[in-house]
Amino acid sequence: MHFIDSTNFERFLKKLSSGGELFVPVRNEETKKLHLERIELFPLPDNTSIDGYRTVEPLKAFAQLLRYPVADYPSTEGDEFPDEKAFPRVVVVGARGCDLIALGLIDKVQVEGEFTDPFYKVRREKMLILGADCTECGESCFCNLLGQKPWPERGCDLSLAKVQGGYLVDALTDRGEKLVAESRELFAEPGDQRIKARDESRARVVKELEAKNKSYPKADTLPEIMRSALTNEVWDEISARCVECGACTNICPTCYCFLLYDQRADGSHFQRIFSWDSCQVTGYARMAGMLNPRPRLTDRVKHRFYHKYDYLPLSHGAIYCTGCGRCIDTCSASIDMRESFRKVKEKVGGAKKA
Amino acid sequence: MKNPYYPIETLVEDIITETPTIKTFCLTPARPIKFKAGQFMQLTVPGWGEAPFTPSSDPGVAEKMEITILRTGKVTDALHALKPGAEVGLRGPFGKGYPMDKLEGKEVLVVGGGVGLAPLRSLIYALLENPKKYKRVSIKYGSRMPEELCFRRQYDAWAKVAPNVDFTNTIDVPASGWTGHVGLVTTLLDKLDIDIENSVAVSCGPEIMLKFVTLKLLEVGYKPPQIYLSMNRKMSCGMGKCGRCNVGHYYLCVDGPDMCYDKIKNVPNVFG
Repeated sequence: MHFIDSTNFERFLKKLSSGGELFVPVRNEETKKLHLERIELFPLPDNTSIDGYRTVEPLKAFAQLLRYPVADYPSTEGDEFPDEKAFPRVVVVGARGCDLIALGLIDKVQVEGEFTDPFYKVRREKMLILGADCTECGESCFCNLLGQKPWPERGCDLSLAKVQGGYLVDALTDRGEKLVAESRELFAEPGDQRIKARDESRARVVKELEAKNKSYPKADTLPEIMRSALTNEVWDEISARCVECGACTNICPTCYCFLLYDQRADGSHFQRIFSWDSCQVTGYARMAGMLNPRPRLTDRVKHRFYHKYDYLPLSHGAIYCTGCGRCIDTCSASIDMRESFRKVKEKVGGAKKA
Repeated sequence: MKNPYYPIETLVEDIITETPTIKTFCLTPARPIKFKAGQFMQLTVPGWGEAPFTPSSDPGVAEKMEITILRTGKVTDALHALKPGAEVGLRGPFGKGYPMDKLEGKEVLVVGGGVGLAPLRSLIYALLENPKKYKRVSIKYGSRMPEELCFRRQYDAWAKVAPNVDFTNTIDVPASGWTGHVGLVTTLLDKLDIDIENSVAVSCGPEIMLKFVTLKLLEVGYKPPQIYLSMNRKMSCGMGKCGRCNVGHYYLCVDGPDMCYDKIKNVPNVFG
């Protein structure tokens, strides 16, 4: 554990991001929400804020870009992957526990297994992430229901905790320890008082999370509840207000689904484009001949819940939700994942008794 | 590192018209593509995009590949408009392919419907390469009308390969000049001369056909672990990453596309 004061912290970021791109959380004074903003000139903006809770933007946006070309064809290079130098080094500051876990979950899909997406892998390897403690619990936060902590436990090299005058810096990896060692002159001893302040803050946020979510089911009970609710009409009730906008899947830090489409670049050249896609929209799984395995909105809303809480635990060994609450914040129909699970639990429990 | 999204340049050497709506495209990829029967390819029509197809050709041949395609949507319309000499693209192979090891020593029942005989033809090539490995190979095939039967030129040869191989076909409704069996392909399964306990059934066709073939097979005594079905879902990446071809928690592109019915029988609306 180390301490760095605010002035030295800026120097540290400058050094870390030299030759690369730097993103830090900046507070929007109107909405009070944190947004990741690209910093091209120092000093950092006055409203830079490495406290509060997670940013509006999920981390996945840095590794799996919203839309980009993955192939130009025909090409003399054929299927050789482009030079890694073409991809920028990116430093992201202030990632929260939920988002770090979420990125690790997408890694499992895009990097591990028989095939690797080289675009994702290279961008991911070029990311340096500085995590940060949550110092408050957002309205929609429910990471505690997933058994997680509101501070980084894995998924970043260095973790920050805002304290009086600067930050406590915890190296979670050898690489993190090395980064500190390379700038040793910027760091000081943490001091017991600061560590105590951080621990008290952590305990307070955990308490807030537990109080806020005490009436909702814990996530480890969900896969089983889900399996006994497969044909329950509770899904009609949950999906009744959905407007099929796809915002929940786009903003979700663990939703990774995408589409490849082709377009003409010029006369005889074509481009294949990778683009985020949403399982909530009608055409997502529709095949030629208009066959659709999920033609009804209810099927699609239900699919989102099942993919996260039943299918992926079976295929990839983890629930693909980290309780960040973004889908709750963004939903124009006010569909709340926690509330939905409470409904499912009530209905399935009721059915069992009857 | 290779870019798995790049389509390998492929020449359309020849196009065989199978039926009014089905054509077989004889392709030569820029480099040989080794595939197992039942594995699928993503076929690119430049500018139009990709669609997944299982080759219909002999999996023992890597230099050339045949893909038999029903005209039914955007990409297949563009494909059917191509002439020999056209350039297309291929990615793959993807998926597991047919469970060849589970077929050895068994009475293999192959049930196809319409263009569903295309991937099964690749399986038939693999099975008939060494028919002694199987106790029996019984092929049942149905189409709506006589002019919609694919690969008619090969039926006699298949039936003559070995004494333990037979081929029967049917059309859905009577047609003038047709002297063969009439009725849905499921009617060929009513009085099966097969040791069902020692049999594995493999089926490919439209979802509605797969549904009724499965029901019929269960009715005549097959157990779910003995039934393999070629499932259809929208696919994009082919690599288990884009998330759209799921049946329950399986991704067809990596776990299929041929799925053991035992694994998917509890998935709601599994046949759409």
